Formats: sequence, C-alpha cells, structure tokens
Amino acid sequence: MWTTVLPMRLGHYGANGAEAAGPTDGPGPGERLLIRTVERYGVWLRSTVVLLCSALGVLSADAADIPVALSLLVPALLACAVRLYSLHRPLPSASLWALDASAVVLTGLAQPVLGGAGADVMVEAILGISVITFQHEWATRPTAGFALAGLGAAGCALGDVLSSPGHTPEWAPLVRMLVEVSLSRAAYLIIRGRARRADRSGAARAASRREADVAAARRTTEREYLATLHDTASATLLMISQGDGHDWSWLPLRARRDLEALSAMPGFEAESIVDLAALLSCVPEDEGPARVQLKSHIEGPLAIPSGAGLAIFNGVREAVTNVARHSGVREAVLRAGADGNAVVVELSDTGRGFVPESVSARRRGLSGSVIGRMHAVGGSASVISSPGTGTRVLWRWRWNDRARTSRRSDAVPVPGLSGPGPGPLHAQLQNTAVVRFIRGQLLYGARLAALLISLVSQFSISSRQLMAHQDVYHPGWAQTVAFVSLAAITVTGAVHTLRGKQLSPRARGWSLGAVLAVSAVCAFTLPPERLTGPQDWAFGLIGWHALVLLADQPVRAFAAFLGAHIGLNAAAVFLLGAPTAAQLSAMGIATITTCGFQLSVGVLARLLQDMATAAATAAAREEELRTRERIQEEMQRDHKERYRALTATTVPLLVGLGHGALSPRDDEVRLRCGVEAARMRRLFAESDAVADPLLNELRACVEVAEHQGVTVSLAVRGRRGEVPVEVRRELVDPVAVILGRTHSTARVTVVWTPREVRVSVVGADRTDGRDTREAAHGRAAGSEVHVARTTRGGRVWVEAHWSRPAVTEVVPT
Amino acid sequence: MSNTDTSNNAPVSVVVVDDHPAILAGVEAWYAASRRPITVVAAGSSVGEAWTGPGSTADVVVLDLQLGEGGLAFGSLRRLVDAGRQVVVYSMRDDEKTALNCLDLGAATFLTKSEGREHLVEATLAAADERPYMPPALAGALGTNARADRPGLSVREENVLIEWFQSESKELVAQRLGISVRTVNSYLDRVRIKYANVGRPARTKASLVARAVQDGLVDVDDL
Repeated sequence: MWTTVLPMRLGHYGANGAEAAGPTDGPGPGERLLIRTVERYGVWLRSTVVLLCSALGVLSADAADIPVALSLLVPALLACAVRLYSLHRPLPSASLWALDASAVVLTGLAQPVLGGAGADVMVEAILGISVITFQHEWATRPTAGFALAGLGAAGCALGDVLSSPGHTPEWAPLVRMLVEVSLSRAAYLIIRGRARRADRSGAARAASRREADVAAARRTTEREYLATLHDTASATLLMISQGDGHDWSWLPLRARRDLEALSAMPGFEAESIVDLAALLSCVPEDEGPARVQLKSHIEGPLAIPSGAGLAIFNGVREAVTNVARHSGVREAVLRAGADGNAVVVELSDTGRGFVPESVSARRRGLSGSVIGRMHAVGGSASVISSPGTGTRVLWRWRWNDRARTSRRSDAVPVPGLSGPGPGPLHAQLQNTAVVRFIRGQLLYGARLAALLISLVSQFSISSRQLMAHQDVYHPGWAQTVAFVSLAAITVTGAVHTLRGKQLSPRARGWSLGAVLAVSAVCAFTLPPERLTGPQDWAFGLIGWHALVLLADQPVRAFAAFLGAHIGLNAAAVFLLGAPTAAQLSAMGIATITTCGFQLSVGVLARLLQDMATAAATAAAREEELRTRERIQEEMQRDHKERYRALTATTVPLLVGLGHGALSPRDDEVRLRCGVEAARMRRLFAESDAVADPLLNELRACVEVAEHQGVTVSLAVRGRRGEVPVEVRRELVDPVAVILGRTHSTARVTVVWTPREVRVSVVGADRTDGRDTREAAHGRAAGSEVHVARTTRGGRVWVEAHWSRPAVTEVVPT
Repeated sequence: MSNTDTSNNAPVSVVVVDDHPAILAGVEAWYAASRRPITVVAAGSSVGEAWTGPGSTADVVVLDLQLGEGGLAFGSLRRLVDAGRQVVVYSMRDDEKTALNCLDLGAATFLTKSEGREHLVEATLAAADERPYMPPALAGALGTNARADRPGLSVREENVLIEWFQSESKELVAQRLGISVRTVNSYLDRVRIKYANVGRPARTKASLVARAVQDGLVDVDDL
C-alpha cells in the first residue's frame, strides 16, 4: 500500500525543493557535482554489495539449485555492470530504470531458489542497500527512485512469501525499509540544500566581481581608445589647424589611416605571438615636415604576444613623433633585444631634453600613448630625460609577468586571449576562501544528515527494540542508561552543529569515548548470541553517532572507531559465550552490512568535502566565460557609442581630407580642424582625476587655443559643484567651437550659483552671418543644457547653462 | 558706455599706492588720456603716500592690496575709509572673497588689474563723485555671493550681474535681455547701493547711498 502513497508524497516534497532552487538556468556547479558524486557513489556501493552477496549466496546454496540461482543472479549482476558503464557513457534513463528494476526483482526471486537462512540475509542485504542507493542514483528523479524502492520492497516481500509458503509477510522489515528510504532521501535533500546555498553565495560574489572586471576592461579599452585617438586623428587635426605645413602630400593617406584606426574595434584582435623585431622595423620615420631618421639596432627575433607587441610598437611610433616635435634633432636610435625572459626596447635621441615632471598633466603623448599602454598590457615604460642631455624612452615587458597581470583586478585579459589552463586554475583555487566556504557548507550538510539519521534511527527503530526486549538485557537498567547517554551525546552534538560551531578536539574525544562506552555496556549486558540480532538496538546505531562526531575528520579516523566498536562486540561474543559457526556467519554478515554501509557513508561525506575544489573550479570557469561574454557585449556597445559620437564631427572631416574633398589650405577647413582638436583635448581631459573636472576640461580647450596664439582670459565665480560628464560635454562644447574660430582674444567664464552652472565664452564672430552651429560630440538626448547665443559687432557670446538638481549632492558619473 | 555723469568736469586728484613701477606708469598714461582732467598728485609703494604730503588731500586713493611681502592690506583700507577717503582697490587678486571684503570695509569699488585699461578711469571718476561703479569682476563676485549677510537681490538683478561678468559688454547684456544699456546700468547701480546699505557701517557707504537717493537711482523704500 505505501509503495504507491509514498512516491506521491515525497515526490511532492522533491518538487518543492526544485522550486526553491529558483534560478531558471538549472542547478549551479556545486549542485551538479553533488548529483554526479552521489550517483557514482550509489551505483558503486550497490554493485559491490550485489556482487559480494551474490557470491556468498551461491557459495552457501545447494549444488542442485546453483544453475537456477545463477540464471537469476547473473542478469542482476549484468544489470549492475551496465549501470556502472552508464556512469561514463550516459544511456537513456528509461532503459536504466528498467535495468535497475530488473536487478531488484531478479534478486528478490533468487531468494526462494537459493533457500535457507543465508539466502534470506543476502537478499535482504542487497535489497536493503538498493532501496537506499536508489535515492541517490535517481536523486534528480525522486519518483523513479521511490518506485524502484517500492519494487525492492515488493521483491523482498515476494521472496519471503515464496521461500516459506503459508507464512504471512512480516511488516517490521518493510517499515524499516521505509524509514531508511526516507532518511536516505532526506539526507540527500539536506546536503543539496547546502550545495545550493554555496552555489548561490558563490554566484552573488561572482556577480559583483564580474562587474568590477567588466568595468576594468572597459577602462582599459577606453584608455587604449583615447591613446589611439591622440596619436592619430587628434595629432593630424592639430597639425592642420596650426597650418604649419607647406607640403601636405602625406595628408590624404594619413587621414585614411586615422579613420581606419578609429573604426577598428579595439581589443578584439585574437591574441597571437608576433615578432617584435619585425614590427619595429616598420616604425614609420614620421611623415612630411617632421621626418626623423631612425638608426635601428634590433636583435631579433623577439617573440611577444601581439597585445604587448602592439603596445610597444604604438608607443615607439608616438615617441618618434615626439622626437620630431620637441627634441630639435632629426635623428634617433632605436635598440631592441632580449634580456633574460624580458623584451627591452629603447629609443634615444641627443636633442634638447626636458624635465619629465614639468610636463602638463593634459599632455598625453608620454603618459597615455607610451606609459599607459604598457601598463595596460602588464609591462612598463619609463622616460629618462633632463634639459640638454637628450631623451631616452625605455619599454620593458616580461614573459612571466603575464599570468600575474591577467588576474590583476584592473588588467583584465582581453577577450580572445587564452585564459589560465585547467591545471593552474585548479591549483590556484586549492585552498581559497571560496573552496573553504563550499567545503564548509557540504560538511555542515553531511553533519546534519548524519545527525538526522542517528536521531531518527535511535528514536524510531532502536527505542522500539529496547522497549520490546527489556527482559533479555542483564541488567536492564544498564541498557536504558546507555540509551539515555547516547541520546544526551547526540543532543549536545546537535546543538553544536545547529549553531554552526566546531567541536573542540577535547569535547570530541570525550564524546567518542562515551559512545564507545555505550557500545561496550550494550555488548556486555546482552546475551552474546543475541548480539546484532533484533534485540540489539545499539550495534547498528553507534556508527551513526560516531559519524556525526567524525564527519570532518579523515575517513581512517571513522574506520578506526568502527574497528574498535566491532572489536568490543567481538570480545563480548568470545569472552561470554561459545557461538556456533552459523551464528558467527550471521553476525559477520550483519556487521559487514551495517558497519560497511556506515563506512561507505563516511567515505561519501569525505568525497563531498573533496568535491569543493572541483565545484569552485567549475564555478570559476563558468564565471570566466560569463565575464568574457559581458565584456565583449559592453565593449561592443561602448565602441559603437564612441564611434557614433565621432561620426557627426571628426569622421566627415577625416573622410574629406582622406579623399581630397577638403583641403588643409582652406581656412574654413583649418578652423574646423582646430575645433575638433579642441574637442578631443576635452575628451582626453575627461578621464583625469581632478577636483574640478569642468574647469580641467575647459582648460584643455583653452590650451589648444592659446597654442594657436589666442589670448584667453578664464575667470570662475561661485562655489564649484558636481556636474555629470555628459552635461560637462555640452557645457564645454560651445567653448571649444568659439575658441577654435577665434584668433585674437576671448573670455571664458564659469559661474556657479546655488541653482545652476553657467559656462560662457566671448570670442570673434567669424561666421559672416552664416549659421555655423556645429554638431557636437555625442549630444545626450533629453539633456537639460540650454545654450544662448548673442552676436554684436564682430563679437559672439555663447552661454551654456545647466540647472543643477535640487539635491546639492549629485553622484559624479 | 558707463554710468559716467558727464555734467561734472571738475579736475580730480589721485594718489596711487602700488609697488610695481610698470603699473604706475600704465595708470598715469590712462589718466592722461581721460577727457576730464585727472592728476596723480603722489605715487609710491607705501600707504604712507596717502597720509602725508600731497597724497593726504587727494580726492581718490588707488590702492594695491598686495604691497611688498606682507599680507593683504585690509587694515590700511579700513583706516583710509574711516578717514573718509574714497578708495579704489586695484588688485591682482581675482577672487570673490577679497572683492566682498573690500566692499564691506567701504571701498568705493574693486578692480582687478586685468580690468584696469577698461575701467580704472571711469571707476576713479565715479569714486570722486561718490557715485556707484561696478566693474565685471566685482559683478561676478556679487552675483554669486552666498554669504548670510548679503542684501536681497531680484532674479533680474542677479542675472544682469552675472551676464555683465561673463560678457564684459553692457551692449551684449542689453541685447540678450532685450533692455537698454541705461537699464542695465540702473540694475548695476541699484545692486551697488544695496551693498552699501548692509554690513559694516562707513561714512563712504552712507554718502554713496545718500547721493544715489538724491540722484533718483534708488527709492528710499527699496532700502
């Protein structure tokens, strides 16, 4: 009857558990590993027991019955073998279920064929273990597990009825089986709960780390993008706006290259190994008026990952440009070679030199293009110079630095770059906090499960045994005292476990001693021939209590305890009585099934804890994949956004210059280039860490204008506040535009009132009445910036103002 | 272009206290070009020039706040104001705190050195006549003043102050706001009078207010 009721009830329970898991993307790495571990454990344990007991059964059977017994047991064994095979090569679950079902039914039918008390014990042992392990083998399909358990119980009852006809089947073993099945399922659910908890907290931690990694990757790409912009479009536009060239023949090619550099998605080149020597031999000696003759001493080949190679190559290019612009000489020496496992590159000139500390923070050639780039790939670059002694720029990149930097928080591996292999990752995680946390959770689960088993066994099965057989104990009170002591020890252990506390070694020692004492008392106050029989409530129980105490210890500690426990009972048997061979063999089998099973559970508890590293590794790998996906997505979005911002302004200019549609000799073109150059300078200034970013960005534009001979007065009034970056862009943009078109004097002011910030510029009105309101870099939709424009007598006055939010504290973007 | 009362053509005498010879030369050249005669009767790098000899009776004192290595000469300014002198503070410093302090002490006006060419002559004449004068740097300071003891200004007045500071052109301000230059001036004058009417009492402030009421620049009820 219960075979039908139970699956439904417990099946419902299982369904609840599945719902509680919550996430729609299936079980986490910890839970998946748990499912696999318990399945393997279940199949192996059951197969071992079936094999051993079958062998013993056949050996003890009459010779005549052996062929029939073999014809029943061999298919059962084969079923187990197939099941073992299926652990490696998954088979359809319907056929697996059929195999498991046939194994228990055939074993049940073998009981009457083999005959005798021995066969009863064997078959009962096989079926008793099977119904328990089915709950683990079919952990994710509780209905299938319960149905198999039902079949096992039916097989058991059938065997009983067939082997002794006329006998009504006994209910006690069936009830016992029911309890065992429920405990087995409950133990699994408890541990699974812990595994899920570990997965959830791991996922939460991973999510926050992922955000940080993504942000770091975005920053790195942003830096690289700005450095590229600085070396390409910004430099070209600045040269045109200053009009300091007579021969512009190099310009179209350069403009087209700049355009390619801007549209290239950064960070998506597949990482490969390149020869830096070959790369460096293509460093251009700069074009047009600023040609620098390079004397190269390169000892190649120099193998280097492409990312680091490009960082050095781009840096050298920028440094050569700097020689042309600032050194006053037209010659530089480029050396490159290997130094141990490092690649070293040096560019030196004998020009006028400078004081590196005195370079303005807004001059980005060295800090961004040379040094910043090298930091982003985990290398280093340094500039050694002083007035009159020339300049040396040194790049250095080490092979073994890479593993370290790729895990560093702000230098995230570029997507496509091969991550650390399984070996190192596994080793790295060996004893990390994550692994300790997962292990702790699983250990806690194992403890709780052992506790549940000992409490339920003690207060359901054992207490009934003790009450029913009071008369056989001698003295009776000793057994009662032992029972109460065992209960007390368990309750103490339970309180400790539930509070999440570790047992002190001292308390553990005392408790184990007390459990052993109970074992001894029970062994010596029961008639020896009754040991392990229905009257012995303690023998099968002691092991569970010890497991609660020893779950976190190596398995050998638990095995030693079981050995001592068995030894005490054996001593009682041999000292107090003279057992027959049949009695001894029944006791032996009972010992093996009980203590062997307990030992196997101890092994499982250990396996679960060892699983923690694997679970953490799996989680870390999944996490890495997810992070890469996110980084790819974000970077693609950022890139599109950046390119969109340039399409209205810089891109048309470069296209026109690249195809000859716009001439650098045209004043209007030069003015537009000046405006774009100023806008880019403002963009570079955005990433500076300064107290007043608005003023810093304004100064970046003012510097470009001053460089072109404009006298700019900059005045600020009021108390500075926070302005989001996109608002700053719009506030500063008119200044970039007006200053780019002014050639004499200009006035720039910033006024902070409690309600608003007003940025104003007064400059020359060179529009001749034409409307030249130029498209700005990436105007934010729905922005609150209002621009007013007044012209009079050749002067133009443009003011951009933004109403500050009522709350004075605005989170800076 | 400014709120000059052209009817008065009486000569004005000035003492210039500044420790930079080039500044002194520049100031004298600007005064020489003025339509109304302005005479520098004494000049030197010490405040003593304003207390002794011909400097002690000059109509207007032009005072650089930063003399020598010492701190700002607020003490000297206060003593001059307390003696009833009209002081035009002429400073390298371009911050609102200094400007507000000078006004509170009773200076006739506050000018930054970068404004000298445009505004020093007019500021000097206005000081001699006890009329208000508001150069852009000072307007910016008053427009963003957040001190508790500041006089109450209308939104329009604040706007005019800030826009005058931004553009340094009353014509541009007038065009932007759709008013006349004369109206722009009257807003600036009114603000200057409001400031003269608060804070530390000084004889120069009182005479500025009295003159403004007399000229009809402000209503007594406004104050």
